[in-house]
Amino acid sequence: MAAPKPGDVIFDVTRPGASREQLAFFSTGTEDPNPIHVDEAFAKSAGFSTVLQQGPMTTAHLAALLDERFGARLKSLDVTFTAPVYPGEALRLVATVESAASDIVCALAVHKPDGTQSARGTAVVRP
Amino acid sequence: MNMNLEGKVYPPYRLKPDRALAARMQAGQGLGAPAAVPPTYFIFLRGETRGVDLFTDLDIPRTKALHAGQRYEWFAPVGWDDEIEVTARIASLAEKQGKGGKLWFADIEYEYRILPARTLALREITRLVKRG
Repeated sequence: MAAPKPGDVIFDVTRPGASREQLAFFSTGTEDPNPIHVDEAFAKSAGFSTVLQQGPMTTAHLAALLDERFGARLKSLDVTFTAPVYPGEALRLVATVESAASDIVCALAVHKPDGTQSARGTAVVRP
Repeated sequence: MNMNLEGKVYPPYRLKPDRALAARMQAGQGLGAPAAVPPTYFIFLRGETRGVDLFTDLDIPRTKALHAGQRYEWFAPVGWDDEIEVTARIASLAEKQGKGGKLWFADIEYEYRILPARTLALREITRLVKRG
């Protein structure tokens, strides 16, 4: 496989929207006690229209895709959540090489179907 | 937010990767059960029932909490049979004036070490926000 170079797209993947049942699975699997992911009334009391998908699910999607491509060469992943994600909203996850010198640095972007960016970040990979 | 807790280090707790929890986590992602420990299996949330009750200690009511982001650094692979020692530290606390009012930011750093050698496997920083 050719060495990645700036501008290369490492992945451009769309994950289908998660169901409420999936959100409950993820909360159980991560031992997350926050009712905002599973309790509609609680989410509304916090000012949201419905339950929220976990930010760490986005991180987990990105990490899984990077792990699939780079395995143990993956050094770090930094993710900032920029907008809430609701059940049923698909996520388009894109990683693009920014630089490839001593390490490979990838810019990460996650968007919802309406074009809203829900997360952005950076991954660093050993060459 | 309880601003005087900056620098607080919690007593370490121990974890072993649990295949059933990992499978649930991945089911949430729409994926099958993992062969290896998933890269983000270790997450700050697992500390909440093990003595690192950030939301209570920092005075962040759940209805006012936001999760701003996460950072992971991987140093060594973790196997299913590894026992991990976890140390959590409140790395930084900050108050800022946002457009909609005051916001408080907390960065909490977790180090995950493989026992018995205490080999550093992973560092996680989670960023929490309290809305005013």
